[in-house]
Amino acid sequence: MTAVGSPMSGARAADLLERELPTAVRRRDSGLGEVTIWVDRADLVAVCTLLRDHPDAAYTTPVFVTAVDWPDREPAEPRFDVVYMLRSLQHNDVCRLIVQVTEDDPNVPTLEEVFAGMDWHERECFDLLGITFTGHHDLKRILLPTDWDGHPLRKDYASFGEPIAFTHNLEWALPAAERPRDMPGGSR
Amino acid sequence: MTALPPLGGPVTDVDPLSEQYEAGRGRLGIEPGLDAIDLVEIGDSTMELNMGPMHPSTHGVLRLVLNLEGEVVLECRPDIGYLHTGFEKDFERHTYQQCIPYTDRMDYLSPLFNNLGFSLAVERLLGIEVPLRGQYLRVIMCELCRLASHLLWYGTSALDLGATTAFVYAWRDREKLLDINELVSGVRMHTSFIRVGGLLADVPDAFYEMVGAVIKTFPKLIDEHELLITKNPIFRQRTIGLGTLTPEDAMAYGATGPVLRGSGVPYDLRKAQPYSSYDHFDFDVPIGRTGDVYDRYLVRMQEMRESLKIITQAFENLPDGPVNTTDRRVALPPRNELNTSMESLIHHFKLVTEGMRVPAGQVYQAVESPRGELGFYLVSDGTNRPYRCKVRAPSFSNLSALPHMVRGELIADVVAVIGSIDIVLGDVDR
Repeated sequence: MTAVGSPMSGARAADLLERELPTAVRRRDSGLGEVTIWVDRADLVAVCTLLRDHPDAAYTTPVFVTAVDWPDREPAEPRFDVVYMLRSLQHNDVCRLIVQVTEDDPNVPTLEEVFAGMDWHERECFDLLGITFTGHHDLKRILLPTDWDGHPLRKDYASFGEPIAFTHNLEWALPAAERPRDMPGGSR
Repeated sequence: MTALPPLGGPVTDVDPLSEQYEAGRGRLGIEPGLDAIDLVEIGDSTMELNMGPMHPSTHGVLRLVLNLEGEVVLECRPDIGYLHTGFEKDFERHTYQQCIPYTDRMDYLSPLFNNLGFSLAVERLLGIEVPLRGQYLRVIMCELCRLASHLLWYGTSALDLGATTAFVYAWRDREKLLDINELVSGVRMHTSFIRVGGLLADVPDAFYEMVGAVIKTFPKLIDEHELLITKNPIFRQRTIGLGTLTPEDAMAYGATGPVLRGSGVPYDLRKAQPYSSYDHFDFDVPIGRTGDVYDRYLVRMQEMRESLKIITQAFENLPDGPVNTTDRRVALPPRNELNTSMESLIHHFKLVTEGMRVPAGQVYQAVESPRGELGFYLVSDGTNRPYRCKVRAPSFSNLSALPHMVRGELIADVVAVIGSIDIVLGDVDR
């Protein structure tokens, strides 16, 4: 089996960040041949600009941005992992950055000034997961119709089965956010 | 993997015919070196034109809102999502095996690459490896699929520019490749042939004859296609110098595949980060010089020949042995074992009813699909379903560079640029 990159993809970025911007790296973890770097959202733009411009990194290509919803881990940890993947063609490497944001304040700064290609990916992430990218010039839905309700890739989005309340389960008639978590339709 | 050579390496044999192109522009009264946008005076007479979603040259359901000054495109705003199906949400509700047919339907012109990317991601989380014969057969089927996909692109993008004959020729040859799909999987397009842990099944005997025929006949057929288009003066005048993308812009937009390589960046995941034994085969990565529509055409035509090289090598060195892993957590036991072995029966039952439990973790696996980097970012929480599966679709990023490519071009050329990106809307919208 060939791992993505070798010997450990993303190690180049993590080493560089620990050397140049040591305060920005909150945590670093590796598994299955890939390094993951956790950064604060306040440092995100500086980190990505450094990774793009530094000759030892040259992560010039955005791969994607998405988010992973972990609704049950608040308040111990923030609910959303916003995941960035960047690729360096010059050094043949990919790196993964994770910014954690809470349910009440799902904002991260936009990276469209750093990578032109982040524009659509950020719109997709906003559309499907409800992460807001502050500073984005045109943050609106991209895949779903503009009048769509909710963000489908959140785990508490009821996507199948219509919840029907009877006398024994009146709580199913509550608004989506207040419904019990084991209700049919959710995917958690 | 060693570092790649610096950008702007050796180029394919491209003759941009620039004199002929400039002469053609001269006949239209365009001074050399001027772009179409330099000729217009931008006043208040701009027109907003809606193109698509039901337009034959948008290859599906892409809608473009074009802001025009005369015939010159000032601004292009793509509107996508008409084919959005929510596959990523579907993944979260299905077991890993059940996800495979969904992957087929994303990029419906290269289903095998979607199968492969997803399967490789799950296999990495599980820590299993497919036997060599399985890997080689995966490579053969994927490269046949790349041929089929490029042939479809060749036919339709030529058709967009009025070359009807090329379309018919491309369809003639693509049938032969779909016949192989049908032989091995029973289905012509949505094959689901590549599964987690290996393949649907080993190939039947007729496979060798059919692939042998492809290896023998296709070089000549590709020559035929090139004869029709490559030196065709109409095609060259319409495509050379059009929709140019510089290497820096291509990288910034996250463009991959032939769009990136057409701009002269020699990056191919099969070479850069080999998977499924691609490092066993000897092939070249064709790149263009100027990054225009014609270069992207040349790159794809050359890629078809390189795919044939890979198929030939894999076919001639195809090892014997099993195609599926022997890990019973993942692959079904052989039918004859079920008669005698209680454990096999249990494994079979568990696998069919519950599926495989994948260790918790996250992984990103990318494969080089005909359109570029197709990636699967898979997060597992230890159950039998993906917790989150993000599909990094190559067409999505490539299409996001379209407004940049068509700014200042003529409206009639927009279709040529769309054709050269080779989008599949199922891949864009997922």
